[in-house]
Amino acid sequence: MSTTLQVTQLEKAYGPQKVLDGVTFDVPKGSIVGLLGPNGAGKSTLIRSIMGIVEPDAGDIRLSGRPWSREAVQGIGYLPEERGLYKDMRVGDQAVYFAQLKGMKKADATAALRLWFDRLEVQGWWDKKVSDISKGMAQKIQFICTVVHRPSLLILDEPLSGFDPINARRIIKEVRTLAEEGTSVLLSTHDMPSVERLCDQVVMLDRGRVVLSGRSESLRESGWDGTQEVLFKGTDMAFTIALGALAHLDTSGPSPVAGIRKAKIRLREGVTASALLSALMQSVDIVEFIKVRPTMESLFIGAVERANTTESTPAS
Amino acid sequence: MNAGLIGAVVLREWRTRVFKRSFLLGTLLLPIVSIGFMVGAVMLTESSEVHNVVLVEDAPGLITLRDAVSGQYVPRCPSCFPARDNLSYHFTREAPADSIWKRQGHTVLVEYDDAVLQNHAGYLVYDKSPGASAKRRIERDLSRAMEHARVLQSTVLDWSEYQRLKMELTLVDKTIEDGQRVNGGGDEVRGTIGFMFSALLLLVLLVYGGVIMRSVVEEKANHVVEVLIAAVRPEALLLGKVLGLGAVALTQLVAWTLLSSMGFIVFQLLYDSGAVGTAASVAAGEVPVDLLTVMGENDVLGHLLNINWPLMAAGSMAFFIGGYLLYGSLFAAVGSSVQSEQEGQGLTIPVTMPLLFGYLAATMAIENPDLPILEWLGWFPLTSPVIMLVRIAGGVAIWEVVLSWVLLMLTARLVLGLAGRIYRFSVLHDGSRSGWKLLVQWVRGHGK
Repeated sequence: MSTTLQVTQLEKAYGPQKVLDGVTFDVPKGSIVGLLGPNGAGKSTLIRSIMGIVEPDAGDIRLSGRPWSREAVQGIGYLPEERGLYKDMRVGDQAVYFAQLKGMKKADATAALRLWFDRLEVQGWWDKKVSDISKGMAQKIQFICTVVHRPSLLILDEPLSGFDPINARRIIKEVRTLAEEGTSVLLSTHDMPSVERLCDQVVMLDRGRVVLSGRSESLRESGWDGTQEVLFKGTDMAFTIALGALAHLDTSGPSPVAGIRKAKIRLREGVTASALLSALMQSVDIVEFIKVRPTMESLFIGAVERANTTESTPAS
Repeated sequence: MNAGLIGAVVLREWRTRVFKRSFLLGTLLLPIVSIGFMVGAVMLTESSEVHNVVLVEDAPGLITLRDAVSGQYVPRCPSCFPARDNLSYHFTREAPADSIWKRQGHTVLVEYDDAVLQNHAGYLVYDKSPGASAKRRIERDLSRAMEHARVLQSTVLDWSEYQRLKMELTLVDKTIEDGQRVNGGGDEVRGTIGFMFSALLLLVLLVYGGVIMRSVVEEKANHVVEVLIAAVRPEALLLGKVLGLGAVALTQLVAWTLLSSMGFIVFQLLYDSGAVGTAASVAAGEVPVDLLTVMGENDVLGHLLNINWPLMAAGSMAFFIGGYLLYGSLFAAVGSSVQSEQEGQGLTIPVTMPLLFGYLAATMAIENPDLPILEWLGWFPLTSPVIMLVRIAGGVAIWEVVLSWVLLMLTARLVLGLAGRIYRFSVLHDGSRSGWKLLVQWVRGHGK
């Protein structure tokens, strides 16, 4: 798979403070990469470096395999976290203006924008002034302005902030469609559920360093600690005896469905899920046997905590 | 820099302002107010012209004699008191009390004694001032009448002989150019013309500099700027903004000129037809005095024609562009470094100081456009836009104009680059700190 964005050993410092410290990651073509990190991790500086707003001190940025250039940046669709529109301009004129700044001709921009306005059901707002539209509507217009020139790379910084759940789902759908059509997406957000729903890969930053990166599924798989959720019919006593030395019982109690119990267990080392399932089936009726993989949020918190622990431990 | 992108920025700045209701209103209102002001001033002047009836108390009997028929005192020199619309004289040797001469319809009393011929002074007594021009006329008439009286006392001169001998010398200016004597002079006329151009330029620079600053502050407040500078180089964006607002300024100036010219033509037609002003008095038999005649008499027109108008026009445009780019960039830099317009006002004072200093120096040009200080300030890019227009009007070598302009443009290019840098850093600056220290930090390329 070809790479749309390649960041290698990127460094940036403001005075004595290192904001980016050897950041390296790729965004493959057509993939959605989540950029995660606590406040002050360096996400904005990283994005601004890619966009040429900040000049990195060291490292390399390549776009579609070519060295970074201002012309190449023009092809990026960028939706910053702090975003706005000119209040005294009409919505349509403003969208055309932004598209022109991205190198589109006026006629092409108008035609493409009309399609996008139809797609996101904002066609009636073309001639309205920005000051007359709602915040959610303005967010939609900003999203359209970001994608109208069909960028090969989309950089979205908190794209769902300000959207209600219905419109958030619509934007997620559009981002996914764009990715399927070949657009690569770098998505910076604190919204973990959207990362789980959208991202093929994640890059987690903390204090300017990549603390965890990889394919979302792989990370969640490798972060699995053997936790299983079991719904069963039978007594807790029989269930606990069946667990024996195969697994720890973390929690157990009634499920929302009458007559069915729910337990959370953790496999002991070397024990397979199928071995445990066979043992349990001899004592209770198994209704569901679910592998509970870690959430992105828990992976994120775990990675940050591990990074902090490593940093605070004195070298021996 | 990508010309297409700059063009898009220029067009946006121009369109969003020129098609605004406030712009149209302002563009229409100024000529209407100017014409209205002029009509009002004419009408006010005419309605406020008071008829002054002057009682001259000629106690020593210097300038009057008693008319044998009427028994009234009359001037020895009637021609010294020409008939005027707003001024008439009565004479006496002993004035009554103030309350009485006023009741008799006199508005002003002039009194002097025997010593007037030595100390050349008398008194002008009134309730309400007759006005400066009426006072000057009274002084001139009485001086002439007293001159007449002194000549009469002389044993060697008579009045007509005195008039013949009396002379006033006029010195005609000649300057040496390329070893040849050519007509010169008219410093005041040329200085005034240059000063007027400078003042207009200063006004436009200050007004539109403020507009640029506000525009940058607004863009930061709207959070549009980060999207913009991700697409366009900060320098290009800033250039587009400055040029766009410059185009707005030019549009307004052209509209004002056209509308004002039309307004003045209409006013002139109304004035000539007698609908406005004193055309009626012209019809009553007075000789109309047209401006060109007056100008011709004073050689003003000749001095005006001596100005190198093509160079003046080209210079005005060139220095407007250069000055506008330079000061526009400076105002943009100030706008970048502040969070609100109010905050920016304080920072603009040091920016406008050189411009105001240049303006003050330009006022000296009215007296003498060839002052050495003007030459020096003409080379200095921060003052040259204002100063060079005065120097061009006064007469200056073309190479000096070109060199000064080149220096101005180079400085403007440099400042535009620095302002772009400041603009870029300002996007990343989300704190409440602002001021010159921060600006210097950004220019040096430090700071978030």
